[in-house]
Amino acid sequence: MIEFVNLTFGYRGAESPVVSRANFKLAAGEFTLVCGPTGSGKSTLLKLFNGLAPHFTGGNLQGRIRFSGVDVTGRKPHELAELVGYVNQQPEGSFVADTVAEELAYGLEQLGATPAAMESKIQEYAELAGIAHLLEAPLSSLSGGQQQRVAIAAAMAAGQKILVLDEPTSALDPLAAEELVTLLARLSKQQGITVLLAEHRLERVLEYVDSVIVVNGDGSVVKSAPRDAFNNYRLLPPVVEFSKRVGIEPTALTINEAKLASVKPLAFTGLEASISGELAISVENLEVTYGKTEAIRGVSLKVHAGEVVALMGDNGSGKSSLLWAIQGSGQRTSGSVWSAKGDPAKLSVIERLGAVTLVPQRASDLLFLNTLAEELAESDRFNDVSPGETAKLFLQLSNRTDPKQHPRDLSAGQQLALVLAVQLVKGAPMVLLDEPTRGLDYEAKRHLARAIEKLKASGRSVLLASHDVEFVAQLADRIYLLEAGLVKTTGTASELLGFGGVLPTQVAQITEQPGLLLAEQVIAG
Amino acid sequence: MPVNPFRASALHPATWWFLGLALAAIASLSSDIAVELGVIAAAVFVMLTCREHAPWSRSVRFYLWIGAFVVSVRVLFRIIFNSSNPADAIAFSLVPIDLAGIHLLGDVTWQTLESAAADGLRLAAIVIAIGMANTLANPKRLLKSTPGALYEVATAMTVAINLAPQLIESLQRVRKARSLRGRSKGISALSSIVIPALEDTIEQSLGMAASMDARGFGRRGNLTTAQLATSRALSLGGILLISFATYFLLASNSQSLAIWLLVTGVLAIALTIRIASRRNLRTRFRRQKPGKKDTLVAAISLAAVILVVVL
Amino acid sequence: MKTSLFSRIVIALTAFASLAMFAWPLLIESSGADESRVAQTVFIVLMPLLLVVVLVEFASGGLDSKQLALLGVLTALNAVIRILGAGTSGIETAFFLIIIGAFVFGSGFGFLLGSGSLLVSALLMGGVGPWLPFQMMAAGLIGLVAGLLPKPKSRWLELLALVAFAIVGAFVYGALMTLWNWPFLAGVGTDISYLPGASLGENLLRFFKYESLTGGLLWDTGRAITTSVLILLTAPALLATLKRAASRAGISRKAS
Repeated sequence: MIEFVNLTFGYRGAESPVVSRANFKLAAGEFTLVCGPTGSGKSTLLKLFNGLAPHFTGGNLQGRIRFSGVDVTGRKPHELAELVGYVNQQPEGSFVADTVAEELAYGLEQLGATPAAMESKIQEYAELAGIAHLLEAPLSSLSGGQQQRVAIAAAMAAGQKILVLDEPTSALDPLAAEELVTLLARLSKQQGITVLLAEHRLERVLEYVDSVIVVNGDGSVVKSAPRDAFNNYRLLPPVVEFSKRVGIEPTALTINEAKLASVKPLAFTGLEASISGELAISVENLEVTYGKTEAIRGVSLKVHAGEVVALMGDNGSGKSSLLWAIQGSGQRTSGSVWSAKGDPAKLSVIERLGAVTLVPQRASDLLFLNTLAEELAESDRFNDVSPGETAKLFLQLSNRTDPKQHPRDLSAGQQLALVLAVQLVKGAPMVLLDEPTRGLDYEAKRHLARAIEKLKASGRSVLLASHDVEFVAQLADRIYLLEAGLVKTTGTASELLGFGGVLPTQVAQITEQPGLLLAEQVIAG
Repeated sequence: MPVNPFRASALHPATWWFLGLALAAIASLSSDIAVELGVIAAAVFVMLTCREHAPWSRSVRFYLWIGAFVVSVRVLFRIIFNSSNPADAIAFSLVPIDLAGIHLLGDVTWQTLESAAADGLRLAAIVIAIGMANTLANPKRLLKSTPGALYEVATAMTVAINLAPQLIESLQRVRKARSLRGRSKGISALSSIVIPALEDTIEQSLGMAASMDARGFGRRGNLTTAQLATSRALSLGGILLISFATYFLLASNSQSLAIWLLVTGVLAIALTIRIASRRNLRTRFRRQKPGKKDTLVAAISLAAVILVVVL
Repeated sequence: MKTSLFSRIVIALTAFASLAMFAWPLLIESSGADESRVAQTVFIVLMPLLLVVVLVEFASGGLDSKQLALLGVLTALNAVIRILGAGTSGIETAFFLIIIGAFVFGSGFGFLLGSGSLLVSALLMGGVGPWLPFQMMAAGLIGLVAGLLPKPKSRWLELLALVAFAIVGAFVYGALMTLWNWPFLAGVGTDISYLPGASLGENLLRFFKYESLTGGLLWDTGRAITTSVLILLTAPALLATLKRAASRAGISRKAS
């Protein structure tokens, strides 16, 4: 179906090509995962399929691309539009129309379909994607998962046989992501559509894919069977990491496979909940109402010095509202917040920075200067600390980067580290993080985890909102699970994320051993 | 509750504009106060009975204000910069002032007041009639009906209309986030709010552009050499004709010639746009077609204009 | 966007004709009131057509998806800023972004941005009237000329050029729009109305009296000050952001 022959692609002015001499074939109906660290060129590889690279992105292309034997090298995106459907990271930003039906019609309009053909195709693909009941709804009223389904249906509505998706699940909660991946699996199996999916949360997709393409960042692009893909791969999903540690042969890729390998009870180190220091913040009966919506309906919680506490729950359960209300600039309807320096809402903006600090979901909202160096210097000036202080903190949280870089060109992990540094330099003992792992790959998450551990070791307390089970299991001493604005349940990581808990980690699901949550806990032997 | 069969969305947006322009034409052709008042009353009535809930439907009062403003400015101007004919009946007298050769105030005649009010009302009626069209016609649907030659520009405008509320949201989000970093408000914070929101929106819009390209945006047919030459000759000719016509309109005693030049020029331009639109290969989804109601409204509008011309 | 020589000629001719349609009270030779009324009505009808001609010519070079998207973003931002700034009298917030955007992306983009911003804000908040096509043309021409400004290498000179143009542009735009509303509001027959058939000098003098007595000059000064202040405040950051966007979108204006 698709064949890449000796394909090399590089951006102008770059030292080395992003893709170097790639050779692989994809069969009709094959479901392929594209993985690799952030910035390794996954997106670029996907854009090669429909000519967005080089025509949209700029750059030089050598080698050949063939679809069903026809050489399509160098064709423009609009010339390939009937063949390849493309879905990018942020569906909500790439919609062209107002309603679902109009969005699905867009591609058909461009390709000159007749009005009757449009109506029938739209109906067909809406049903396939499970959005037929939403056809007349405005796009802005849909949930993230629904929006992604619309984007997928819109990309296929002209009958495209190849579907390329660039990290479509990154903004979805686990359930919506799972549904999306099963939809893609169904499309490839039942409709014979060749699906290419870039994704960094491998655990979500490994059990469905037929093959894996690893993009390493050094130009090498290697296609292999899922089982062979991880022999030399640094960033392993928990199941693979686990099966390697306990020596399951061949490497298990899914929870079921690992379970079937019937691992004997293992020796493992316990997850110690840290000894709590003094009370850092105490929230009593907090309520937040926006108009008629009750976002938070009476939540009480406590965080101690040197403690990492996680807020979990689905999108819309009130995690963000709670963080903003605690920080003091968000709305509060009733209830009280106590911290050692007083209620943050009653402090001046500057005093508040010394008491509690919040990193919002889109950390980049706080960045407005033209280079990293300017941002760091501005922070020193504003926070009245000695020059270089913010930069020092930044280097503790991130790896070294060119200070002349534009903040928007930093990776998501580096942007987060920069905002953390800026927000922490005033020395707030309490750190609130809203969904910090959004858009981060395993490597960046590991960096972030290390940074949080450093904060904890320095006696600061961290309250983080996240639905990333594996990440929370790694870090949190205690967890509050929110549902519809109320604390549904609370407990330690072992209690909630271990075997028998509400949100068991993958390793907990495999081993069914209480207290064993992470592959790292297993004592090899 | 019965649904108004002539509610804003039941008619093609172009029909509302046709009605609006017809009313404006009637107002402009007549100089009778009663006709102008009739046009205003009709426009306001249609506006109030046919409008629906939409952002562009909320400006009825704005147009009425502008109308009132135009009338009062006209009348005030005539009173202040008075040039009444002393032979006519005097309405009231003000102390005359002479300011550097400009005569202010003095005796104001009924005739002056009446003609000022009539002029003002004529312009107010035009403004309100066009305002009516704008209040009732959905701009997005109107943009969908633009000729193919303007497709890209119309798309950019639609994108802008769709983005505006999103931008307001992200400006608010960034402003809220700014408080986390503890910055001052006021004008000096402008770029720290605008820049992150703009960066975000640019990022998003480039994503949208990629998704448009991936779905076939940019397909264009080619014009034959003959078509290209014809279209160029017509557009150049059309614009030259319009330029000459403008000259003759302003020169004395040649307005009828000017009108003929104009009509030819406008036709030439319309043909160019038609030819240029042939490059457009797209089809339109659920393009709203004018129906019986549209024909009815258009026919009534046209009849009214003809009636005014004949009388 | 590439504009062919032919398109440029058509655009120049159209711009010229449109200027005559703004300035007709100064130029009209016939002294009858009817002729004036006909001219005024005809120009109100013609101006939208002239706009369409310019837009079609600029778009004929092929507006690609990235340019279109950026045009949409800047137009939306400008409309939003204009809507948020409306109600504060004397503050005109529409122009700084048109000037900066045109400066970075070129004159074709500038025209589209100028005319589009006024169209979208009028559509969204009401404000569509016979004046709108004239406002769109005037703002479009401001953008067009801003796109032709020389691009100095030094940042200070760049800022200076922008501010200088902002001041000139604010007064030119003000003069054009006052020319348009002069016969509309003042009518004929007063000492500050235009005098059909009078000499250019006489009418210019009357125009100047009208402009100063009705506060038009004050208004223009306000516009010039706001636009320059906004440029001074935002240009360093905006120029960097837009230049980055321009290079990502592959739209570049050569430095002179």
